[in-house]
Amino acid sequence: MHQFLEFLRFELKLRFKSPSTYVYCFMWTAFAFLCVASENFGPVSNQSGKVMLNGPWAMTFNMLGACMFGMIVMAAIFGTSILRDFQRDTFQLLFTKPVSRLAYLGGRWSGSMLVTLFAFSGLMLGAWLGTHAPWADQARIGPNHLLWYLQPFLSIVVVQVFFIGALFFAVAALTRSLFLVYVQGVALFVLYLIGITAFSATRSTEHFWSGILDPIGMQLVRVVSGYWSVVERNSWLLPLDTTSGYAPGVFLYNRLLWIGFGAIVLTLLAVLFPMSVEALGARSQGRRAAKLRTLEQAQGAPVRTQIATRLPQVHPRYDLVTRWRQFLALAGLRTRAILKAVPFWALCGVLFAFIVNNGYYAGRMSGTDVWPVTYLMLESVEGNAYLFLIIVTALYAGELVWRERDVRFDGIFDALPLRPLPDAASKLVALTAAQLVMLLLSMLGGILMQTVLGYHHYELPLYLKELFVLVLPQLVGFSMLALFVQTVVPNKFLGHAIVIGVWVIVPILYNFGVENTLYLPGATTGYTYSDMNGYGHYVPALFWSILYWLAIFAALGGLSMALARRGAETGLRRRIGAALRRPAGWLPATLACLCVAAGAGGWFYYNTHVLNEFLSTEDRRAIQANYERQFKRYQHQPLPKVTAVDTRVEIHPERRAFEATGTYTLQNRGSVPVTELHFTDVNQSVRALSFDRPTRLVSRAARGLYVIYALKTPLRPGQTMHLQFKVGHDSPGFTDGKVLDFSGGDAGGKFAYNGTFFDLEYFPVLGYQTGYELDDPRRRREQGLGALQEMAKRGDAVQSKVNLFSPNADWISFHAVVGTSGDQTALAPGYLQKRWQQDGRNYFEYSMGQQPMQHFFAFVSGRMLG
Amino acid sequence: MALVIEGLSKTYPNGVQALKDLSLTIGNHMFGLLGPNGAGKSSLMRTIATLQDPDAGSITLDGIDVVRQKDQVRRLLGYLPQEFGVYPKVSALDMLEHLAVLKGVTHKGERREMIEALLNQTNLWNARKKAIATYSGGMKQRFGIAQALLANPRLVIVDEPTAGLDPAERNRFLNLLAGIGRDVTVILSTHIVDDVRELCPRMAIIAGGQVLLEGAPNEAIAALDGQVWSKLVDSDEELRAIEAGMTLISTHLVGGRHEVRVLAAAAPGEGFVPAGAGLEDVYFTRLAAGRA
Repeated sequence: MHQFLEFLRFELKLRFKSPSTYVYCFMWTAFAFLCVASENFGPVSNQSGKVMLNGPWAMTFNMLGACMFGMIVMAAIFGTSILRDFQRDTFQLLFTKPVSRLAYLGGRWSGSMLVTLFAFSGLMLGAWLGTHAPWADQARIGPNHLLWYLQPFLSIVVVQVFFIGALFFAVAALTRSLFLVYVQGVALFVLYLIGITAFSATRSTEHFWSGILDPIGMQLVRVVSGYWSVVERNSWLLPLDTTSGYAPGVFLYNRLLWIGFGAIVLTLLAVLFPMSVEALGARSQGRRAAKLRTLEQAQGAPVRTQIATRLPQVHPRYDLVTRWRQFLALAGLRTRAILKAVPFWALCGVLFAFIVNNGYYAGRMSGTDVWPVTYLMLESVEGNAYLFLIIVTALYAGELVWRERDVRFDGIFDALPLRPLPDAASKLVALTAAQLVMLLLSMLGGILMQTVLGYHHYELPLYLKELFVLVLPQLVGFSMLALFVQTVVPNKFLGHAIVIGVWVIVPILYNFGVENTLYLPGATTGYTYSDMNGYGHYVPALFWSILYWLAIFAALGGLSMALARRGAETGLRRRIGAALRRPAGWLPATLACLCVAAGAGGWFYYNTHVLNEFLSTEDRRAIQANYERQFKRYQHQPLPKVTAVDTRVEIHPERRAFEATGTYTLQNRGSVPVTELHFTDVNQSVRALSFDRPTRLVSRAARGLYVIYALKTPLRPGQTMHLQFKVGHDSPGFTDGKVLDFSGGDAGGKFAYNGTFFDLEYFPVLGYQTGYELDDPRRRREQGLGALQEMAKRGDAVQSKVNLFSPNADWISFHAVVGTSGDQTALAPGYLQKRWQQDGRNYFEYSMGQQPMQHFFAFVSGRMLG
Repeated sequence: MALVIEGLSKTYPNGVQALKDLSLTIGNHMFGLLGPNGAGKSSLMRTIATLQDPDAGSITLDGIDVVRQKDQVRRLLGYLPQEFGVYPKVSALDMLEHLAVLKGVTHKGERREMIEALLNQTNLWNARKKAIATYSGGMKQRFGIAQALLANPRLVIVDEPTAGLDPAERNRFLNLLAGIGRDVTVILSTHIVDDVRELCPRMAIIAGGQVLLEGAPNEAIAALDGQVWSKLVDSDEELRAIEAGMTLISTHLVGGRHEVRVLAAAAPGEGFVPAGAGLEDVYFTRLAAGRA
């Protein structure tokens, strides 16, 4: 008993002296805090806008998520606690004392349990703090009930930590390798995701065993609370009895099953753990035995003379050739060290399994079987493989930077006549080799799945372009970032956390409204690949953004070379001082990279912010809110309706532009005279408007959003008039990512080199458009607007006479002439009357003739077949 | 305390035979175990220290079967391994407290007294609150012997303790060992001949997993009396001639010239003078004989 308590006390003392314990606790506190205090963060906040952020369901779901992603924390704590004696070589001091196995294992395990629970208790604290944050959205925060904090913590966090921690503990104790523990953790995570996606793709409605057998909880939550309404989610915890809810007893049985699993694992460990120190010290004994063997062989050899003979002379050289050879030798050594090790092949195996799994579902879109064309395959393969590659890069960057120190070879290595550049470059090469292998594996996996699904048009150049031209440079940049962080940060695992944190923070920042590619580390502009358009007009944006971040990361790479640890004194300040004293080695290269970055970034900025207007989604929402605030009062303004449209459109796909001229015929279909004409122009596409009678411009809102003309003589009911318009759209330079227009579509995608598709939104639109109002209640509250005015009630006298989709027209007659480039075909509503060629362009005349149509039209152009 | 080792054999999984039918008897005194690197000294030490099991043979410590009753042995044992690590950020005081409890000294007052005495004896009192990881080599060794001496062990095993210590530290360490006291068996395993010569009334020479010599150093030295001859030699050829033709014990460099020591019943040649036999001569001759 004494021994058990002593081991427990010692373990707790060690852990609470270590900063990492507090870092973990802070991490979970911050996570929970942000989940509650911020609207844009966390798994619950982006779901239904009415679920309480600190309600029972939210707390349960967040804790489940934290446990899932916290597996790595559990591996770190439980794994190191049992491996410390082997890593630190203290087992000889410890196991020659009369130590009992149960006291040893029990003390270490319970210490780890307590420490992990301390770290995870930050979830409760953070959530509670979040409810008091002054900027939190109080509409989504309810009263704090202690039970809502405690029950999820006890029934989810404690149980998860218990059995997952037990698993890691047992694996660490029996395999004696920390790396294997981490690999096992990653593999578990990945296999679980594969299982979950496979299961959900079957769309099974099974709701008993699938919930019970789920170790991590995603399926469990779905089974037990998937059908809960908002009210239920804000009042019920997951029920721990066998009668209530849609899946009675599932939660209870799940918890019992996995607690039992954990208990079995611990019992097995207690029984199987080899307390005989021989097995415990096996690895170091292997080393000693190997030493013995070589010495025994030496003893068996003929007697060595005691007289020392002279050594032969060599002539070393220290020039560029040497540096090149050193680089090659180191690169080869480091690459082999990564690629030949078992953990790498295990990771590759898991990646391949992932690819195969995701690739299978590439052939299904919304439940329909489609040909698994290469870009679909790439889409499904790339997202998850990317996460994998990031983790692998981060882990191996740490290993590469710390390797000499970890194996205590640094005393010899740092005193070699080796310049920093071959050393640093070889590390980068080794990382890139690992990434290449994995990307190749992804490609092969994709091709394999395509073959299995019966599709043979592999489009290898597309694979190569996407994986090796687009993804690889981003990975190389990320490698350089990881190497830099590991060089600067004094602790390898803290370095891992920061590196992965940098990658994780990008979507978080994006959620918080930072959408500028120039500010998001490692980001590239959004793009859409299509078989028709290829990468199309996204290429320059991609090129410059990739170059920009690559150059910045290369500059960091140069700095990491300057600040590399060498020798016995490795404090950061000393290294900075040493680097500043000898700038010639790194300053020119770093400055060159920064110049490239400035150039690329500047050009990118010029195109995306100067030539084009850059609006974040929040900016857009503000514009929409202003539109409603200023112009909603004109919603019932009497306006004429469009009765005929006649237009001539010139599409220039090679410039991604169009111009159009034409006439609207307007008629006053109401019973009061029309005195004013109101126009909404959301895309800033209306260039000129003229009327067949005298009008006066009354007002023009910012960005031409809402324009009011007054008619000198009011239009009497029944009277018609005509307006002439000139509209157009240009695409100067390139834009940052997917520029959304106000209907949520990709504006840039509407004008592709091959594939133009734009509609009447680019033509004059009469009157106030309720369609442009914000409809998400969350966003409306943010912008200070009231509730959304919903659709009118059935039988409303006025609205019953207004067409829902085109409120400013009834039926129209339509005629259009569309011109496009010589290799494309243009389409518009109507029957094709005539087609001809003129000045190397194709022209098409469409008309609806006598048949009236709805006031909605779109123009399409592309290189069609036939 | 009598430690009786009989017929100990050990072969490692990769085929190396570390101990070959080794037998020794060690009594209540400082016992020196001398041998070259890879002789099997550490394997033997670890077996006695209950860290590994032999393939064959037995070890009894005053009637306790060391192989089968490990826990009993560990209560009497103090072990200073050849290399050991430490936990980061743990002070000597904390570590000694922890290990003392593990050794069974559960009474807090007794523990305090013992640790204080040990820290003073090893001259670590002033550094007791500093992390062991920051200690110099000598301080770490002193900590090692302090933890070995916790709870009044009756069998103390020190494995190559003075390797890497400067002469002053080495002296202090050996003095500390010498003052351990009676009724305690101390096994000092080393390849430094001088340590055994200075401290041990009995010794054994081990090489290739077998005992080449067991007895008192004095007797072994006396057996070689009158058979050791030395000569100062200038040229390499003469050196090689001597090596080929006579039983060369050792050569040293003295002021730039080679001094050879040769084993012979009578003066082996020109320029040889009789030299007093030393323990080193015993060591080298035994090793050579063992190899032959």
